[in-house]
Amino acid sequence: MPLETTGTSVEPAADAELQRRLVYGDESALTEAYAAYSGLVRGVAVRVTRSPAAAEDVAQEVFAQLWSRPYGFDARRGSLRTWLSVLAHRRAVDWVRSEARHRKAAGADDSALQAIPDTGPGPDETVVDRERSLLLHSALAELPQSQREVVHLAFFAGRTYRQAAVELGIPEGTAKTRLRSALRKLAESVADPPDPALERGA
Amino acid sequence: MTTDHDGVRELLGAWAFGALRPEEERSVPRHLAECESCAAEAERLRETVRLLDGPRGTAMSNGSGESGGVLALALRARPAAPRVAAHAAPYAAAVAGLQALVRELDGRWSTPVVHDWDAHATVAHLLAADEPLALCLGLDARVPASAVPEGTRWEEAWNTRTAEMIAHELARTPEETVADWSAQAGALLATPEARDPERAAHATTLMGIRLPVADHFLVRGFETWIHTDDIGRALGLAVPPPPEEHLWQLVRLAVRILDLALGTTAPPVLFAVAGGEDAQWVLGSEDEPVRAELVLEPVDFCLLVGGRYAPEEVPRGATGDEGAVRNVLERAAALSWL
Repeated sequence: MPLETTGTSVEPAADAELQRRLVYGDESALTEAYAAYSGLVRGVAVRVTRSPAAAEDVAQEVFAQLWSRPYGFDARRGSLRTWLSVLAHRRAVDWVRSEARHRKAAGADDSALQAIPDTGPGPDETVVDRERSLLLHSALAELPQSQREVVHLAFFAGRTYRQAAVELGIPEGTAKTRLRSALRKLAESVADPPDPALERGA
Repeated sequence: MTTDHDGVRELLGAWAFGALRPEEERSVPRHLAECESCAAEAERLRETVRLLDGPRGTAMSNGSGESGGVLALALRARPAAPRVAAHAAPYAAAVAGLQALVRELDGRWSTPVVHDWDAHATVAHLLAADEPLALCLGLDARVPASAVPEGTRWEEAWNTRTAEMIAHELARTPEETVADWSAQAGALLATPEARDPERAAHATTLMGIRLPVADHFLVRGFETWIHTDDIGRALGLAVPPPPEEHLWQLVRLAVRILDLALGTTAPPVLFAVAGGEDAQWVLGSEDEPVRAELVLEPVDFCLLVGGRYAPEEVPRGATGDEGAVRNVLERAAALSWL
């Protein structure tokens, strides 16, 4: 389901122009970026953290970083959409990890993972699911950039693989293959023990 | 098997993410009903997506919660370019641009930049280069100056001062130099002359050139950008050219100064800067027919005037008398006021 309601196809020239205005201290450029991508950024963060309050913090950090470190984004290396999505995801994963560490350090419970969701697991979510979700998101953050981008566009930005291919300037078949390779890698990161039947079934 | 095994297998990643086109959605379940190995992989991939996604509804129900404070807080991470009159806006923007770049300089301050300056010395040089305008507008020198003997030529006084300033700053930390440069730039941008065009209309001679104070502000913007670009190149970071309207203010100023430098006897050249409205001038003698035409891109022209292109290297479109063109390019490169 698309988390993002604004923004159409990616134009590298438009992203470069926005970055130019950010570099030169034009506040309205941040306002525009925020209007276009804050929904995406919050959506990414809330999916990882399960916490609206944490997602607000992540969104603030992400846009503060875009504003204060505009040289961190380079339009020649990818779109602003994927850059912000990846940054939000990384920050959100860090938040969950540090939350788990804090609770563990506080000694409230030996199992840090039980303490992760500050709202408690939802009715249809188990603690084990929660643990595996964090493992998966950590693995997603570690994917090679080429796979990570296409996953972000398909999963967080709600693009079809064809739209993602156009945005990334890659062939459709490549987008399709990257999605499958990425997802297989993610599945392996939570697979225990490895299932020999699936290992064979390439 | 009636359905396309290999085709569907390739689609399973996109299918699990819900990233197929609607017409493709139908082909997958048909095949999964027939093919055990695809069905097993499909189940495994979809379960992975489910775990990424969390319990149903979490993302969307919370994803749209908007508190207006997020943007305001993010904006606090860095000061915006101050609002000033049009003549000072390119300087305000260039200062913001260098402030953004120095955040990338942690641990890289000794990177060689231009002349024999590293990044630290380059910022110290800007602190010196902004000083004449600051003093002229009644601000205090930020670094004590040694006495300059009566009758010293401005170039010599300037060379002494910039060397003195760089030596002074290199004994401090880069952060202290940046803070001083930022403070002086901020003070310049807070002067009435930066905010009121009328207060900036009077001409004054700084660094050997007599211009209205408004144009001296433009020169500050020009030089700040050129040195920011120098530092960016040294770091391997692409510094974008100034915003379009600022770039054209710099171009027009540079053309005026180039025209003065060429005088009224140089062989006339029709000079155009690509992409600008009315950006076409006859430089040199007005009494002879035009000998040549020369077109430069705005950024290239600025880099030439800033001494960052040799006259023979700058990309150009030229027709007509080569000597007349060369004369313009050489004179532009020799302005070297930066």
